[in-house]
Formats: sequence, structure tokens, C-alpha cells
Amino acid sequence: MLLFRGGHWDRGLSTDELQHAMDKVMTWFGRLNERGKIKGAQPLSGHGRVISGTDGRFVVDGPFTETKEAVGGYLVLQADSLDDAIGVAQSMPTLRYGISVEVRPILAQCPIFQRHPELVRRATDGAGEQLWVAAAA
Amino acid sequence: MSTSSETTADYLLLFRGNIWDRGLSPAQIQKVVADWMAWFERLKTEGKCLGGHPLEEEGKVVSGKQGRMVADGPFAESKEAIGGYFYLHVADENEAIEIARQCPGLEYGAVVEVRSVADVCSIKQRAMEYSPGQLAGATA
Repeated sequence: MLLFRGGHWDRGLSTDELQHAMDKVMTWFGRLNERGKIKGAQPLSGHGRVISGTDGRFVVDGPFTETKEAVGGYLVLQADSLDDAIGVAQSMPTLRYGISVEVRPILAQCPIFQRHPELVRRATDGAGEQLWVAAAA
Repeated sequence: MSTSSETTADYLLLFRGNIWDRGLSPAQIQKVVADWMAWFERLKTEGKCLGGHPLEEEGKVVSGKQGRMVADGPFAESKEAIGGYFYLHVADENEAIEIARQCPGLEYGAVVEVRSVADVCSIKQRAMEYSPGQLAGATA
């Protein structure tokens, strides 16, 4: 999964520069799609809520999407390896404007099982692959 | 396409914090994990969750022109790190928030970010506001 961080890279660009950047992004996306590399991808809107505490008692506005860390969109990539995924991330045209791309391998089962081998795995045995399916594009 | 709103009824739940299991007994962890899976299956059966994934704890962060910088990250143990996600298809934000509040990890410090999925990239949206009609493809 590629997480695109830093949503306000367009600040300070002229209309022409922005047009050029958007064209490059669309071309980049189209090429990946033609090669069957994209299992799902969406931009996220600029506002949201952050829920925490027992029974989710705290509901606050956030995250602040003008920060460099905020996630502005995601792409579920069909990659051959982590290196392959990194290569795709490196070809993202808006990196030059200051965004960053977090590359995270998707797992069939929760990593908690790796840390706690004593846990019974019945929740994921067999059905695990079907349980965690990719969201449709 | 999007005359009155740029958003759809789709939401992403981002689960943050991957150290909630610290200090819990195996039985407690087992219960949280089982509850989490049951929660996921129920939402899927109800048609409210279209999919989801846990993410491997360590990955890479790519930045700089041509992605010249490739750093390890995010840091494996963090309250901020994203550990997984659900893709929700629900009526509105309130329903998405209600579902987020059912997350079994909340009690142990997990944080759930609720983000509406946009059908138009916000950069495109802003570009249209700056210069209506000037950006080719912006109304796609």
C-alpha cells in the first residue's frame, strides 16, 4: 500500500505548472493501471475525525491535512516485491513538489500474531486470505 | 459527477498505534484480536465494509526529486503509525464515526482516523477554484 503524505504540494505553483504536474500524475496512474498494478486507489477529502478512548468517547476534528504528515490518498499496488513497490513510489511525479510516499506491505494476517506466537490463530486460519480482501477501486 | 458535494458515502478508517498490545496478557490480546475479526466480518456481512488490510509494521518512506531518498519507516513502535485500514460504504459520516467507535482496540490506546473518500482529488478541486475552466481534465 502506498500512502501519499503532504496534501498541499500545489501551493505556489502557477496554473501552467499545476496543469503539467496533474497531467504527469494522470499519465503515471494510467500506465500503472494498464499494467494491472492498481488494485484500488482513492484521494481522501481534506477533513476527517479522529476517534480515541474507551468506547470511542473522544471524537475530534482532524487530522490537519495541511501538515506534511497527513495522508492525502492511497494506492493499493500489486507489486512483485518491496523493491518493486519502492520503484513505483519513486516514479510518482509530485515527489519533486514535496510529498512523500510511505510504502507498506499488506499482510494477510494481523502482525500481532508475529509478536505473540502463543496466540491461537483460529480467527485467521484458512479463511484469513479471504477475510482481508482489497477494497475495490 | 459531483454537483453538490465532492465526497461519496465511502470512508476510510485508518487504525493508528501499533503498541496497544503492550502489557496485556495473551488471553486479553486473544480477545481483542477475535473481537476485531468478528467486527470486520459483521461489517462485511452487513455490506458496510468493502475490505480492509493489516499492514506490515515496517516499510519505507520515499521522498525528494525522483524519489532519491528512501528511508526506513515508519518507526515500528509508534502511536501515530498506521497499522491497517477498513474501507467503509455507509450512509454518512455519523455512521462511519459510530462504526469507528466500535473498534475493539480503542480501550487499549488505538486511535481511529475517519477520512471521507473523495471522488475528485482536492488538488484538482482547488485548481478549479483558482482558475475555473482553465485546467484541462479538472472536471473529469
